[in-house]
Amino acid sequence: MTDTAMAATALGKRFGRRGGWALRDCTFRLPAGRVCAVVGPNGAGKSTLLALAAGLLAPTEGRVTVLGTDPASARARVGYVAQDKPLYPQLSVAETLRVGADLNPGRWDAETAERIVSAGDLDPRKKIRSLSGGQRTRVALALALGKRPELLLLDEPMADLDPLARHELMGTLMARAAQYGTTIVMSSHVVAELEDSCDHLLLVGGGRVRLAGEIDDLLAAHTRVSTATGSTGPTSEDGSPDSAPGGLPELAPHTVVESRVTGRQLTALVRPAGPLPDDWRTSTPSLEELVLAYLRNPQAAPLTPAEPEEAAV
Amino acid sequence: MTAVATKTPASPGPARGSGSGADGRTAWGTLRTVLRLHRTALLVWAAVVLALSGWLVWLTEVAVKDELAEWEACERAGQDLCDMTIGWVGYSESLAWVGLLISYGFVAVAAFAGGALIGRELENGTARLAWAQGITPARWLTAKLAVPALALTADVTVLVLVYRWAWGAHQNLTYNGWTGDDAYLSRGPAGLAYALCALAVGVLTALLLRRALPALAVSVVTSGLFAFVVARYRGSFWPAVTRTSTAGVVDPPDNAWELENGVLIHGRRTPDVDYWACDGTAAEARRCLDDLGVTGYYTTYHPESHYWPLQLVETGVVLAVAALVTAAAFLLLRRRTATASAA
Repeated sequence: MTDTAMAATALGKRFGRRGGWALRDCTFRLPAGRVCAVVGPNGAGKSTLLALAAGLLAPTEGRVTVLGTDPASARARVGYVAQDKPLYPQLSVAETLRVGADLNPGRWDAETAERIVSAGDLDPRKKIRSLSGGQRTRVALALALGKRPELLLLDEPMADLDPLARHELMGTLMARAAQYGTTIVMSSHVVAELEDSCDHLLLVGGGRVRLAGEIDDLLAAHTRVSTATGSTGPTSEDGSPDSAPGGLPELAPHTVVESRVTGRQLTALVRPAGPLPDDWRTSTPSLEELVLAYLRNPQAAPLTPAEPEEAAV
Repeated sequence: MTAVATKTPASPGPARGSGSGADGRTAWGTLRTVLRLHRTALLVWAAVVLALSGWLVWLTEVAVKDELAEWEACERAGQDLCDMTIGWVGYSESLAWVGLLISYGFVAVAAFAGGALIGRELENGTARLAWAQGITPARWLTAKLAVPALALTADVTVLVLVYRWAWGAHQNLTYNGWTGDDAYLSRGPAGLAYALCALAVGVLTALLLRRALPALAVSVVTSGLFAFVVARYRGSFWPAVTRTSTAGVVDPPDNAWELENGVLIHGRRTPDVDYWACDGTAAEARRCLDDLGVTGYYTTYHPESHYWPLQLVETGVVLAVAALVTAAAFLLLRRRTATASAA
């Protein structure tokens, strides 16, 4: 047993010999017991990362470990729900759960699986092909939770759900995490839906990891500042919005994620390298502000933990 | 802000037996899953076997009665060529049709394997659903191959045995011999070998193409082409018999499969000499043949007793190809998905 649920070192995946890299140079470490949000724009490599961790794809370079071993060996202890929630259309709901029991002997928790399904008022005799998208999501989650995973990988789990079902299933997941210490990794591009439930963040963009760490730490490492330009030095800005970091002398010592000059007003999101001038107004950014700032500025320096993988295994 | 922010590192979770004793149960559970998924196909196959067997029994026991009576009347009347006038259309033709269905049923197997068995699973992502459960992709593929292979073995064996019985029951009323397309594969183990090979070909094609419809089409064409190519070399799977004579044209024995015949030109076998163009009086013909250099005649053939050796060698060849294709499918799957032992 190790306290690392998932770790990647220089992980990369390219589809086809000449295809582009879906994921490259991906290095991070996720402690066990966390609820981790994988955030990024469409096509950022979120699904690829989750499929690699689930052992469904072989990495092109680098490696990923889950639960202290390689993904293939951890298969029985990892739950995975793909983005399009594939299920066998010709089976009924009850038969689908029986498949889960058959494929996970010794681990299957029939009661949990049935409870999740019945909470959605699903007739167990109904065929999967006649279910709505949200109902399929429910069955897929029941299948993933029924195997009592230690690590649960969910690719856009809530996309098809109505707000009520979303709230209820999120509650089920969180209860699960709290009760059994299950590590949950879920991807989404809706940041707001993750803010309340996740404590760890992995921001993926352009196939690379841009931000990785505890959400509280990440927020604490960043500061929103606003000040009048020229207060600590001259500026030659013409007043147009400018998001190129490092262009403003006032911000020079700090790592600038995003900056903008409107008239004589300078606002920026920075990672302070030292104390900020007293006359600057500062505030802690929200998670959404932080994520958006990084997504809008692909050239901003990434912030990932320096020591990705300690002597785990 | 979070529900589980301060959690002690998850030490041994809830009691979870990743025990080694689960292996047998996993294998059984995987088989049961495959049975559940392909229940309809397996039932349809069984129904087809029943229908064809029933048809054969009906043909051999009931439908043939009229023709037998006609045959006997014809013989009693002392007419010649009774075998030419009776029994071509009804009994013999129906029997040939069933034989063709059994012989070339492997095309349907290829379609099933490429389309429904693997192709659709990869296209819909349900294969990943299975791999995300407790079983490895290799074990999944093993079950996906084993269940249809066992069912095919049972189904085709029954059909071949019934067909052998039906085919041998009224030989005087059948028109096609043992080398015919309808009777060659449907009376021996080669028929089963082609079915298993088509299964493997379908699986490999589907793994390569990852889409149901293209995999269905390609595996049907590939397995059909393969059978066509093997059939061309069928005659060379066992040493043929050659008979020569200096006196006159040699005829192969009854029921033999003649591969080649021709004349000996100064002792060398030459199949394509128009020696039959030499006619006229005996002396004229003799002179004509001498001009051509004909010193004798020959025929190369397989007697009916070669059926089993030929059949067994062909079975071996086809099964070997099936094994290679299966190995390739496992290798491909291994390369695609993460495998253990990445130390």
